[in-house]
Amino acid sequence: MFFRSAVGALCAGLIASSAVAAERIEFMFPAPVQGKLSREMQKLVKEFNASQSDVEVVGVFTGSYDETKVKSQAAAEAGKPPAVVLMSANFATELAMNDLIVPMEQLAGDTDLGAMMEEFWPAVRPNAHFAGKVYSIPFQNSTPILYYNKEHFKEAGIEMAPETWAEWVDAAKKLAKPDGERWGIMMPSNYDYNGWLVQALTMANGGQFYNPVYPGEIYYDHASTQGALKFWRDFAHQHKVMPTGVTDSKQVSTAFFSGKASMIVLSTGALSFVRENAKFDYDVAFMPRNIRNSVPIGGASLVSFKGTSDAQKKAAWSFISWLTSAEKIGHWSRFTGYFAPRQTAYDLPEMKKFVAENPDALRAVEQLAYAGPWIATYNTVAVRKAVEDEMQALLSDPELTYRTAAARAQENADKVLAPYAEQTALSLQ
Amino acid sequence: MDTPSATKTFRKIRLQPYLLLLPAFLCLTTFTYWPMLQVFLASLTNKKRVGDDGSFVGAENYLTIFTEADFLGALWNNAFYAAGTVIPSVLLGFLFALALRETTNLSAILRSALFFPTLVPLVGAAAIFIFVFMPDIGLLDYYLAKLGLSATNWLGNPDLALVSLMALTTWKNAGYYMLFFLAGLQGVPQDAEEAAKIEGANWLQRLYFVIVPMLGPTFAFVVVIALISAVSQVDHVIVMTEGGPNNATNLLLYYIYQQAHEFYDLGKATAATVVTLAALLTLSFLSLRTMERKVHYET
Repeated sequence: MFFRSAVGALCAGLIASSAVAAERIEFMFPAPVQGKLSREMQKLVKEFNASQSDVEVVGVFTGSYDETKVKSQAAAEAGKPPAVVLMSANFATELAMNDLIVPMEQLAGDTDLGAMMEEFWPAVRPNAHFAGKVYSIPFQNSTPILYYNKEHFKEAGIEMAPETWAEWVDAAKKLAKPDGERWGIMMPSNYDYNGWLVQALTMANGGQFYNPVYPGEIYYDHASTQGALKFWRDFAHQHKVMPTGVTDSKQVSTAFFSGKASMIVLSTGALSFVRENAKFDYDVAFMPRNIRNSVPIGGASLVSFKGTSDAQKKAAWSFISWLTSAEKIGHWSRFTGYFAPRQTAYDLPEMKKFVAENPDALRAVEQLAYAGPWIATYNTVAVRKAVEDEMQALLSDPELTYRTAAARAQENADKVLAPYAEQTALSLQ
Repeated sequence: MDTPSATKTFRKIRLQPYLLLLPAFLCLTTFTYWPMLQVFLASLTNKKRVGDDGSFVGAENYLTIFTEADFLGALWNNAFYAAGTVIPSVLLGFLFALALRETTNLSAILRSALFFPTLVPLVGAAAIFIFVFMPDIGLLDYYLAKLGLSATNWLGNPDLALVSLMALTTWKNAGYYMLFFLAGLQGVPQDAEEAAKIEGANWLQRLYFVIVPMLGPTFAFVVVIALISAVSQVDHVIVMTEGGPNNATNLLLYYIYQQAHEFYDLGKATAATVVTLAALLTLSFLSLRTMERKVHYET
């Protein structure tokens, strides 16, 4: 420990003496999709450091979205709050509630935050706000989207991507081959992805999923969520067009690439990964609807932890505003497949050229007109896990009913939310 | 004989061992006993996060976890996991050592091959085994398909996921335990075995009456480290299943991690830690005691 800090101090000294008086800040970022992303992010950090001499950003790769939350909190608790963290967009709410991150007005200086947020798509704004203040700046955002193998579609005689749940089931049945030789549809059901997709199905089923105004309420036992749970489980047990049990996102993409799955639901953030690996004609489409077209926002935003110095805050803002500029955010979108949350990025000539060549990159942007915020409550991960456990049980156990599962999910989530609800909505003055 | 110099020597001798023990004692107190005490004290509060003070709630956290399905599930999973990894990996390690006892060129190669999984970090092994266990396209199903068996969702089926993790652990640890048994076998005196041979004992009898009792200390040691590893390793759970499907692979350590860092309940997490520690201590103590009775120590 001593040795490490001594070496660290020595290195810091050397760097500090070479770059005169640069403010060093840490930038923690996850890369949930693939390793390529973390390398590109380090490149961007380097580019920023080279572009000016006032701030030096140290990029720290932190794994998945959930791990990034844990690591940045641990750093903050250890007295080294990270100045910039790329955080799962739905965690800003609870981090703000727990008083761990600062509102962006403390960083922004002269920048007009209201005007800046106007440049972002309306759908990404709710997750960035809490209690009327901006707590995060969106950077990479996504929606779930349907990828499909056009060759399989032609072979099965299907003309168009399914638009409704009925068409979706019908297509999956036509595409699937018996005994799991080929699956009609696959969706990731590992933790995190699972809750996001249950929310997507619930929204497409006309539901709310959670209360976006008050983070102490969840609607797992409502008809729309019950219908979503039933619809997903039926793919596996009733129609037998999806493997039973839990499949993670790696399994889903691998099955798609090897032709074992004809349709898959993944984040639009996986688009460039699919573009590079699918050796067949594929396309992407909206998530099919039952009651309405609607999807939750996913992805990550930039937040800043409490307890940094004013100089660090200033440095953090110069990095945040550089990284979320229309030009950089557009570059990142083209590289990854995430859509650019800043609308103005689509006005730039490189972006116009890119979407003309890759029209599939526009599907998520078109879907944004129907998108809503991502589940963000008190203790989001525990609340999310309550429904994820039940969805996993439904996919594994054909005997379990969606009603029992929904009721249990509600019960467990309510238990998690109880302390917050009692302090707020249930408290009698 | 009560001269001043004799008293002085006497004092010196009495003080010296304590002085020699002091550094170790200080280290243990600072880095082991003190933190353990802190953990115990935290388990009696309703602390939410590090840095949060919380207030004293007595045994409430213990009552909560022992009535909670998730904790009891993790406890049961871990007991099953321990039994299902300790027994096969220790037995396999012993069998490997027996088979490769004589040093020949071939045995050296085989020993290295069996030891190799130990060198792979658990996270790396887990990342590789995700693909080995992948239904239909994975290596395991590829070979099972040749035997006419259909695709199996190894990590996605609650009945198979924990068994799959156990298989990975056994694969990884057996070679490591083999090393201890190989070393132990070196210590079995040739004359004892030869005497048994002359008495007409066959191979099995020699194994049962001579080799196994002589290896008692090795067995006791290996079983204890295997037990500890069954409770302290969590990397593969994080990489492969995150405790799923539906908590089927949620082991104690992962439960503790989630409670402490994801669900903001440090009180519950520390209570679970104390229970885990107590269980480990008891198990280690019992296995050392029972094995020691059957142990033959060289004097």
